[in-house]
Amino acid sequence: MLTAKKFIVAAGVLLAASVAQAQTPPKETPPAPGPLRKFDVPPVQTATLANGIKIALIERHSLPIVTARIQVDAGAVREPASKSGVAVLTGNLLSEGTRSLTGAEIAEKMSALGAQFGTSAQFGSANASVTSLPNVFGEAFRLAASTVTEPRFDPADFARVRTNAIANFDQSMASASGVANRIFVSAVYDSLTPYSRLSGGTKASLEKLTRDDVVAWHSSMYSPKNTTVMFVGDITLAAAKSLVESSLGKWNTPAPTLAPLANKVRSVPATRVILVDRPGSVQSSLIVGQGTVGWGTPDYFPMVAIAQVLGGGFGSRINMNLREKHGWSYGAFSSFNPLVGAGTFYISSEIRTGATDSAIAESVKEYKRIVDEAVADTEVKDQLNNVVASFPSSVQTVQGLMSRLANVVTYGLPSDFYTTYRERLAAITPADIGRVGKSLLTPGAITVVAVGDLKAIEAPIKALNIGPVEVWTMDGQKVR
Amino acid sequence: MLRKLACAALLTAAASPMAAQSTPKAPSIRIDFTQEKLPNGLTVIYSLDRSTPVVAVEVMYNVGSKNEQVGRTGFAHLFEHVMFKGSRNVADGQHWSLLEKAGGRAGSDINGTTWTDRTNYFEQVPSNYLELALWLESDRMGTLTETLTKEKLDNQREVVKNERRQSIDNQPYGSWLEKMFWYSFPENHPYRHAVIGSMDDLDAASVDDVISFFKTYYAPNNAVLVIAGDFDPAEAKSLVRKHFGDIPRGPAVPALRNVPVPKVIGKAEREVIQDPNAPAPVVYVGYRVPTARGVDGAAVSLLGTALAGDRATPFYKDLVREKQTAVSVSAFNFGLIDGADLLIFQIRGKASSNPDSLEAALLSEIDKASSMITNELLEQAKASSRFAFINGLQTTGGFGGRADALAENYTYYGDANEVNSILSNINAVTVAKLKSLIAERLVPTNRVSLVYVPAKKAATTGDK
Repeated sequence: MLTAKKFIVAAGVLLAASVAQAQTPPKETPPAPGPLRKFDVPPVQTATLANGIKIALIERHSLPIVTARIQVDAGAVREPASKSGVAVLTGNLLSEGTRSLTGAEIAEKMSALGAQFGTSAQFGSANASVTSLPNVFGEAFRLAASTVTEPRFDPADFARVRTNAIANFDQSMASASGVANRIFVSAVYDSLTPYSRLSGGTKASLEKLTRDDVVAWHSSMYSPKNTTVMFVGDITLAAAKSLVESSLGKWNTPAPTLAPLANKVRSVPATRVILVDRPGSVQSSLIVGQGTVGWGTPDYFPMVAIAQVLGGGFGSRINMNLREKHGWSYGAFSSFNPLVGAGTFYISSEIRTGATDSAIAESVKEYKRIVDEAVADTEVKDQLNNVVASFPSSVQTVQGLMSRLANVVTYGLPSDFYTTYRERLAAITPADIGRVGKSLLTPGAITVVAVGDLKAIEAPIKALNIGPVEVWTMDGQKVR
Repeated sequence: MLRKLACAALLTAAASPMAAQSTPKAPSIRIDFTQEKLPNGLTVIYSLDRSTPVVAVEVMYNVGSKNEQVGRTGFAHLFEHVMFKGSRNVADGQHWSLLEKAGGRAGSDINGTTWTDRTNYFEQVPSNYLELALWLESDRMGTLTETLTKEKLDNQREVVKNERRQSIDNQPYGSWLEKMFWYSFPENHPYRHAVIGSMDDLDAASVDDVISFFKTYYAPNNAVLVIAGDFDPAEAKSLVRKHFGDIPRGPAVPALRNVPVPKVIGKAEREVIQDPNAPAPVVYVGYRVPTARGVDGAAVSLLGTALAGDRATPFYKDLVREKQTAVSVSAFNFGLIDGADLLIFQIRGKASSNPDSLEAALLSEIDKASSMITNELLEQAKASSRFAFINGLQTTGGFGGRADALAENYTYYGDANEVNSILSNINAVTVAKLKSLIAERLVPTNRVSLVYVPAKKAATTGDK
């Protein structure tokens, strides 16, 4: 449920710093740090059951809390375009009833246990997640497991959940940033790649899905052979293994046929600008970027470093420029978002309508600068240390640690990926950034998406002369 | 709801081994801390937890949007932004850059936030940077206005106006919070205007306003400093004296406008809002309820949780699963401390829903609330609330972490140890208490309805 914390008004969206121009000479210098206490990432422990289910676990006993994630390789990246949305709809329907319990009964039992429970799917997987205090965890886990193996897919639940999924799609298209994201992925990924679509489908694709599609998807894709159960928190491998054995050990459906994933980005020969009209919008949602490499690239760490210098924190180049220098935005940042075989790299921001053209020009300029000009050694060190030194904070909760473990499982990373993560990132140099920026990023051939009040932004953006300006509908149809 | 519960801290966790069967032998949890007051009036709270090598520093000032003057709405928040623009020894931008390179994440670990009842500033960093965090907070507490310029103020004024556009003006249903406070509190009450303020008032704020606000509210005697996480207690005490001991005490803080708040509003308020950004009708219904402290506060939170807090509740079952009038329904309170708090119900319809019917369906559920409250339902809400409390204890700093929970309880009630009464307050709430809360407060003469209707807009260019 919502908490009031949502409504407080904060200084930083997730960002922000500025130019060192003190008016009075500093009288004191910042205190130097003491010796750093070592932080070790606990190791990933693994096991495999006879039916093929894999277990991955990280122990942490500092608080009485355990989280588990039953994850099936049946995410939206596996679905055909004609069934867009079926993976997520199936994931959402798991919690709506099993052979013996209705969805309402499952929700009441979980609530009575004080367990946080939900099922869903994304591109990478379908999953059931459950978090609770240890004294009720066994019961909560067994119930969660039954939703994965024996969902009832009641026709009435199917109809309701699909209707609600359509309403949620409408809601996401009501925000400028939701539209910008949809248009950007459809412009930069190859049209045959699932990542060019929304993982949950669209109103049009959801309306075509039937209950039979969901049943067929579950029976062909959900199997112990492509399932991993992850645990983090106050539990041991022996206890987890016996819990999985007793709840999922007899599950025995055949392995699905999984074709290798061949995700591709679109070839973009020159910079293009795509505008979507949102009449009366007081801000424009802006994305400036391109398709690029995904997980498995040898250049993962340099790409993380580039995104960090350009727009990783408040003091990054793009936030200092668009927010702190010009005051056009509440915050601007950049991301490297790797997926299987392909990914995206982009700058994004919400810009007040009158400054949309100027913000595009500055974003393109910063994009070009980080590729064309050497980055100073101190800037690289400072920016990377932010990611390296904040790592312990980012895994302080069992949920935070679980999201890292889920990356390891979903993307097939080495099990020590996060054990060596900080050392490998800290070793990145300006030379690495220069080499990888020049080989992977193409500032002269990028995609600019702006969703805003067309009558106010179109002419000034055309006058920038950075490339052909197209106008699309929010459904991704080119108008002109 | 559960907003108090969402902010928790750690302490002595007596972990119970995982039982094969559900034996609700719930772990006992509390946040241990020590407290002292410096001669200049600064209260300092220390809460040790060395499980991760991170330390959180939070300064909470006892000032919020409720302290603002007429014509200067949004000022407390604009001021909070100015606090990041440098002070005597810290150049503009240096606050962020020093903390970011030390290992604080902007936004989640490093931030400032403004609410009706308080303003806070926090940083969570690797524990070897404790002194840097203290130095930065002391420099702005002691010397902020020495380097203030109109240029800095104008720059942050624009940033705040962008924040308002992004979170309110450009969002579907973005105005609901502003409207809900306006209708729920009497004329001239300090809660009547929104934290973010109006564009006109933001434009009117001057450098003199900033200086005067700083002198009035930003003094050690109107603040609490919390250090939580991994630190050496003796070293921390000595660093606190070194960096905060010399900051002079400020004047006594002016009293709030005293505007009595009757238990009920006195009539049913209702507004229909034509919203060009809305894809479907949404209705917000709010009621004045008792303020957030103690068992009364826990009862308000548990009432919302029990009726509409999650998918196991009667409202969800009736409105979403069975009648399918709505896509979602939820309930929450804010945790306000002066005069009254608000309990809010939100119902979201489908594009095809009739807004009046949507509102009627929600009100009909609220009419039946008393008959829905059973012991079983209350126990379910308590279990969720206990879990939320312990789940929140996992983080040291940042939003709702241990440092924040201690600072807030001290600022609101003068007693940080209130945080350790949360579980017992939850346990003390009875079915009879919820029923009397419903009978007294969930009544038509105490109701604000905001009905959002998708407004017809000009056709999107070229839409097919």
